[in-house]
Formats: sequence, C-alpha cells, structure tokens
Amino acid sequence: MKQHPLCTDCEDKITPMDLPIPAGLKHEWSKCESRRQFLGRTGKVLGWAALASLFGEVGLYHRALASVPEAASGKDNLRLPHFAPKAKRAIYLFMSGAPPQVDLFDYKPNLTAQFNADMPASVRGNQQLTGMTAGQARFPIAPAHWPFNQHGQTGTWISDLLPHTSRMVDDLTFIKSTNTDAINHEPAIMLMNTGNMNAGKPCLGAWLAYGLGSMNDNLPTFVVLQTKTNPKENNQPVSSRLWSSGFLSSEFSGVGLRSVGDPVLYLEDPAGVDRETRRKMLDAVEEINRQTLAEVGDPETNSRIAQYEMAFRMQSSVPELTDLSKEPESTWELYGPDAKEPGTFAYNCLLARRMAERGVRFTQVYKRGWDVHDNVVGNLPVLCQETDRGCYSLVTDLKRRGLLNDTLVIWAGEFGRTVYSQGGLSQENYGRDHHPRCFTVWMAGAGVRPGVTYGETDEYSYNVVKDPVHVRDFNATILHCLGIDHNKFTYKFQGLDQKLTSPVPAFVVQGILA
Amino acid sequence: MSVGAKVASQSRDVWQKARQGRRPRVVLGAATVLVLLSLLFLPLNGQPHADWLQFFGRFHPLLVHLPIGLIVLLPVLEILGTRRPALREAAGLVLQLALATVLVAIVFGALLAYGSGESGTTVTRHLRGGILLALELMLCVALRRTWLEAQHTRAYFVMLGVVLLTLTWTAHQGGSLTYGSGYLTRYMPPAMKRFVAPSAVSSHPNSFFAKHIYPVLDTKCVSCHGTTKEQGGLRLDSYESLMAGGKDGIVIAPRNPDGSLLLKKVTLPPSDPHFMPAEGRAPLTPDEIARIRAWVSAGASPEARSVPGIFIAGDEEEAPPPVGDYSALMPQIQQMQMSQGAKLVPVSAEPSDGLILRTTDVASTFDDAQLAKFQKFALFIVEAELGRTAVTDDSISTLIQFKNLRALHLEGTAVTGRNLAKLTSLPQLAYLNLSATKVSSDALGPLKNMPNLRHLYVFNSPAEPASADNSVRSTQ
Repeated sequence: MKQHPLCTDCEDKITPMDLPIPAGLKHEWSKCESRRQFLGRTGKVLGWAALASLFGEVGLYHRALASVPEAASGKDNLRLPHFAPKAKRAIYLFMSGAPPQVDLFDYKPNLTAQFNADMPASVRGNQQLTGMTAGQARFPIAPAHWPFNQHGQTGTWISDLLPHTSRMVDDLTFIKSTNTDAINHEPAIMLMNTGNMNAGKPCLGAWLAYGLGSMNDNLPTFVVLQTKTNPKENNQPVSSRLWSSGFLSSEFSGVGLRSVGDPVLYLEDPAGVDRETRRKMLDAVEEINRQTLAEVGDPETNSRIAQYEMAFRMQSSVPELTDLSKEPESTWELYGPDAKEPGTFAYNCLLARRMAERGVRFTQVYKRGWDVHDNVVGNLPVLCQETDRGCYSLVTDLKRRGLLNDTLVIWAGEFGRTVYSQGGLSQENYGRDHHPRCFTVWMAGAGVRPGVTYGETDEYSYNVVKDPVHVRDFNATILHCLGIDHNKFTYKFQGLDQKLTSPVPAFVVQGILA
Repeated sequence: MSVGAKVASQSRDVWQKARQGRRPRVVLGAATVLVLLSLLFLPLNGQPHADWLQFFGRFHPLLVHLPIGLIVLLPVLEILGTRRPALREAAGLVLQLALATVLVAIVFGALLAYGSGESGTTVTRHLRGGILLALELMLCVALRRTWLEAQHTRAYFVMLGVVLLTLTWTAHQGGSLTYGSGYLTRYMPPAMKRFVAPSAVSSHPNSFFAKHIYPVLDTKCVSCHGTTKEQGGLRLDSYESLMAGGKDGIVIAPRNPDGSLLLKKVTLPPSDPHFMPAEGRAPLTPDEIARIRAWVSAGASPEARSVPGIFIAGDEEEAPPPVGDYSALMPQIQQMQMSQGAKLVPVSAEPSDGLILRTTDVASTFDDAQLAKFQKFALFIVEAELGRTAVTDDSISTLIQFKNLRALHLEGTAVTGRNLAKLTSLPQLAYLNLSATKVSSDALGPLKNMPNLRHLYVFNSPAEPASADNSVRSTQ
C-alpha cells in the first residue's frame, strides 16, 4: 500500500525523521500537527472538559471551599459539644520522660522475693527493646525500692514516695493498663499529645480550642506552662511541636507562658507609648492585614489579626492572672512555699487553678525529668517531692472551690518503665528503661468516676492482662468528658477526615465514666 | 357492589366451573382446606411434645422464607407481564409454587409450635395468619384462572393485594416471636418512636427496677417470657408478673437471692439444660447478674431508687428535664451578646440542653440591672456563671425566674445570703457556689429543704466549717 510521505504511523516505519533532510525541517515537522492528531486531540480535550465540568461542580469546587478552614467560615457549623458535657475545661499535668509505674502506682508485692531474678523470657515475648537495653545479657527484676501502703476508703495501694497523692486517692481515677505504640520519647510524646507519632498533627489542646472555643476573650483558650528544669534530672526536650495546631489555624495552638522572668515578654507598652497609641497602631496594622487577606486570601492572615488582638488584651489580663498577692493564706498553706517561686511545678499548678477560674479551656503543665534510666533511687524521690504536693494541692483546691465539678484533671506521661533494671542492679540502686506496654495515668474531676482503678497488668507490670486502654482510647475518653464524640470531631485535610484519635478505631473507656 | 360481595360471587362462579369438570382438583382443594382449618384447633398450651416434632419443626424458619419470596415476586411478574407475556405465564407457576410452599411451611410451623410447647397470643396469631394466607392463595389460584379467561379482571388483583397484606402481618408476628416484640422499634429515632409506639409508662420511672432491672429483662428474657410467648407460664414484662412467678412458683424471693429461681437459672453453667436464657440466646452479663442480685438482696422493691453496693454511672444524677427549644430566639440571643458582652452559650448541640449565661468577659461591670435583661431567656438558662461579677443579693429575685437553673455560680460576689431562702423555688438547682462571699452559715439554713441541691460550696466565706476539708457540704 502506498503511504503518504507525511503519514506518522507508516507501516514501513519511514517517517520524515528518517529522510535525509536538514535538522531544521525535521524540527519544524515535529511541531506540525496532522489532521489526525488535531482531530484526536480535539476529541480528547472536549472529553476532558466535559468530565471536568461534571465533576467540577460537585467535587473540585467544594474541595477548594473546604480547604478554607472552617474557623474562617464560622465555627457554628461544628455544632459542638455533641452532647451535654460533664467537663467545661481540662488541666493536663504532663510528666515528660515517663514516670516508673512500678515504683509509684502499680503495686507488685510478689516482686520483692524475685529481686535480681531473671525476668522470664515469655513475659517479654518477641518485643523489640530500645538500643539501651537490647544488648543486656540478662534482665534482672528490680522491685520497687520504696514500700507501698493502702490509702483512702478505696484502699488504693500507693508508694510512700507520694504522701500527698495518697491523701486524695478517693478522688482519683487510675488507669493501670494504658499502653502506647512507641518506645522512644519523641514519637511517644507526639502520639500522646496529637494521636500521631509524626509531627504536624494538632494536639489535644488545639483540637479543644478549635472545637469548643474560648470561654474568656481576654486569655488564650489553650495555655502551656513549663516547669523549670532541674539540671540534675535527665530532661528530655519538650518543644512547641507538642502544643502545635498542626493543620488547624495557628490561633488554636497553645500559648506558652515563660517559666522564668515575665510570663510573657514585652507585656508592658514601650516607654512613651500609651494604650491609645497602641490601639491606633494595631488598628492600622489590622487594616493592612485585611487588605492582604483580600488580596491573597490566606486564612493564616486572619489568625495573625486575631493574635495581635489577643496580645493586646493579654497586656491587661496576664498581669492580673499572675498577680498572686490577693491569694488567701489558705492557698499557701495548701500549695506550700514552692508555689511562691515562679516556674516551680507547684506555682504552675496554682496558675492552672487561677486560669481555670478565669475560663481558660485547656491548660497543660509540663514537668520534665522523669527519664530515670539510672539512679532511680537518687532521682525519683526528688521528682516526687517536686510534683506530689502540687498535684494534690491542685485537685484539692479545685474541689474546695467547686471547680472540680466542671474541670477534668489529667496526670500522665508518654509511656511506662521496665520492671527489669537497666544497667547494674544492686540493693541500693537500679535504672529503668522505656516500656510502652503498660503505664499508669490518673484523672480526677468532671466526667470520671472517683475512686476507681481500671485495668490490670501481669505480675511483672509488663503486659496488660485486663481492660487495655490504648493512647487513642485515652484521648477519646478525654474528649468524651468534654462532650465530644471523637468519631464525629473531624477536620478535612489532605483528603482525609482527620481526627485526634487517628483512623484506627478508638473506644471511650466506659468503665471510668461518671 | 362491595369488594367482599364481588369476591363471594366470583368464588361462586369458580365453584360452578369447578363442578363442571375439575372434580379431582376440587376434591384436593377441599381436603386441604379441611386440614388447614383443623390446625386451628391445635392445642397450644405451653405443653411440649415429642422431640422429633421439634426436630422437623425447626426447619420452619428456613422454609418460611421461600413462599415469602415467591409471593412478593408474584405482583412483580403480573405487572411486568403486561409487557412481556412470557412473564405472565411464569406467574402462574410461581403462584402454584407459593401455595405449595406455604402449605409445607405451615405444616412445619405447626410441628414447631406444637412440639416445643409454645403458647401466647403471638404464636396463635402467627399460625392463624399462615392458614389465612394459604386459603387466600388457593382463592388466588382459582381467581387467576377466571381472570385469564377474561372474566372478573379486578378480583384477582384485589385478592393479590389482600394476600400481600396478610403476608406482612403474619410475617411480622413471626418476627416478633423470634426477635421479641420491640425489635423493630428499639432503635427507631426517638421522634418517630413517639409517633409509632408510645413508651411503656411505669409507675416509678426513676426506680432502680425501671432503670436497671427492667431493661435487662426486656432485652434478654421477654422474647420468650412476655406477651408474645409465655414459656413455663412465666411473664417477665412487668414488675407484677415478675413477682407473680410461673408454673414452678415464684422466681424472685425478696432478700434471698440464693433462693430466687431466676438468679439460679441465669447463673447455671451454660451447658446445663436448665440454663437461661435458653436456646443459645445472649446470656446475662456478670454486671447484669450483679445488679439483679443486689436488687433482690435489698428487698426487690419496685420503688427504691438505689441499691447498696451498686454504683451505676450517671445514676445518682437524674437526667434533668429538657428545657424548651431556644432556636427561634437565636437572633435575639446574638443581639443580646453584642450589646451586653455577656454570652448565652449553648450547653451542647442539642437545644433542649439549655443555655449557659457566661459573664467572664464583662464580669467587673455585670450587675443586677444587666442580669435582669436576661429574663426574657429565663426558662432556657440552666447555668448562670456569675462568679466575680458585680451582682448583689437583689440578683436572687431575678434568678428565681430561671426555673430550669441547675448550677449557679456566685463565688466572689457581694452576695451576703440575705435572700437565699428564695432559691428554694428553683426545683432543679443542684450546684450552688458561694465561695469567697460574705454568706454566713445561718443564711444557708433554708437551703436544707432543697432535695436536688447536691453541691454547695462555701470555701473562704464565714459559712465555711472549721476544717478546710469539709468546705464541700452536701445537703443530703
């Protein structure tokens, strides 16, 4: 069959490219379009255009709308809380570094007789350990160094290291079967706070700020208080990733108050600038920001405007918040002398109570240093002494002021610690490695049933044997106390209905609910 | 001519025709009718019979779905048959198959009911429905013939409609036998439920029995021991019938859980032939058994609200009555917020949960006059956060109009307690915070008459008891 010389799909494979013609001509040819190509392409384009117009209306267009944060389009459509909440606000005492549950709460009297015995391999199973103890020749059992005693009407066993916590066991709800997926600090602390081991997801406080909103326009909805570090302790880093708003608008991220010096820097107006001038300046900045918003349409500009306004109002509200001079004498009797020194755990607990009174939705107090890989006997009493009274004072103070009726207090670390000793074990000292399979947390106040101990571990405080509570179940339970159904509380991002409890099914721990 | 008369006259025609040359078929039909009618006299008195009857009878639930499918298929074929004659031809076969399978299902059903000793109105109704259905189907077979011969065009379809209605009713009776009478309505949306099935009214709706015992019986026992069936002559669908017991005597012996037959039966090993619930139905959970045991030990009272040793979440706080729907007032509420600064915040997405009056942002300037402006929303406000505001004793006169108020925060205000007695007219008030006020313990006296006031806080006030730990006082 005779082929046209310009035919592109010649049967004998001769194309103009094969002809002995100048390269310029060949190039020109390659840019030419044959009738077939033209018609074929037109047809495809029409097809795509039709498809796009079909989908465009329903799919793409709405996707584009949805990418504007709901906060910008008004939060009312969230319709939260889903049901009448027991708790209006929460205070989260975060024990960064992971407190050893074996030494504090998870009483295992049988271990004393097994001092320095090898932990049976069957207990550990095929678990992969951290690099710190994986190479150990043996895993000698290190029983708690301090005696336990029963306290309260519930007869709860508590270590003698926590004399103050022991006095309020009847008000607390213990979960001894909490467990996590991560064995190292960073992923575990991210999982605890954001429901995901990778950074970039919003934390619990940001979700609450986003979902429930503020109760006080003059203070942030979500405040983070860091406790001054004790250089003798093994302090794991704590950073703003943990109180980040992730993909939510940045106005929902936690506002950290400084632990030393002024709680907020530059709280005072500069010399020569009065409130009026300041206000005018902010109005002008806001006007410029609004123009930018109209031009660019980035919702973060809205957040920025909101943050300027919040900062302005905090100039008067924060000094009032941190002014402890009007606290009655009974406060100091309860919290102890530590509470007068800014940056201590007791001081932060007192501040947390004051913020609860003033309508701060979520306060998170970080205490670092619980990472006792060695010298448990030396470090643990110090850590307990630093935190025990603050915890007790906070719960008791909230209770006597009638605030515990609508405030949930949470005490937790990111994982537990091993029953076997890391490094050398002696009668005098031992260390404990990270342990994700079980750890103890407690809650108190609105939404949870006081005096309950939930979940059980095996005789080595190693595996959960009854009622396991995964981190996501724990977070789902916290949301439940605040009137939120964790399955319905979602935010569209990256094509997913993102939620705090991750896509893996999570369950509210019904057994501890009041 | 009425439909009934029509059907009757047509049946007469059919009979005439039948006499003219279809004698064997008519004889067969008449014999079937006799057998069916005789089944109506089957004694269903709760007396079980030979096991082999039950063995075959238990195929009834399997077989029964065959005629259901065929009968439902019938109108479809007839309607589509107007377009495609082949389908109409098939309809004839389907009708006859339906009749045949209905008869088989009825026989097996009768074996099941008779063999296992069923009794009660539902099982009787189910049996009668089945027989009626078979008779109607037979009539259908006859009518269809006349219809095909182009007589009485409508009668056949009327009969088909009657068959479908009978089928629905009979199948529902059967479903109630298997799954219990509340199966369809249990998870119905509440709005629909109110319309369809008004909830059973109990004389003591807040008693421990009504809240924690009855639901267990209802889900686990009543499908066999209720109005639908009365196995062992025992009904467990009300307090009275529970206490009356069955053929084996009483099943609940107050203050004697070990002597209560009901508790004995549910705690037997599951392999025991006397274990209840029988026939592989879901057993009672240890929690449920513990509740029943505790309730029996405490005297099995129909009125008691709580039982010692049993703590049930949400029990001690009764659900407060819902307030009205404020949605219509939303524009006014928002306007109020703009002008006053104080907010009316919904408790939850559910309007009947009410509103919270929140004054945090304007606390220092919020006074009695401002409070008075919220009277318009009085009935919707369930919580008033007036802590650290400028309200005084006079605010109480406004507050007593908030009839649905459950929580009142007056901490850190100038309230002296002069008017506290007036608060007794707030029946729902459960929480009152008077911390850091000038209230004296004498002023608290009248509050003792408020049965619902469970949380009273007087920390840092003259009324505070000497020991700090006792600043939380309960009025109960």
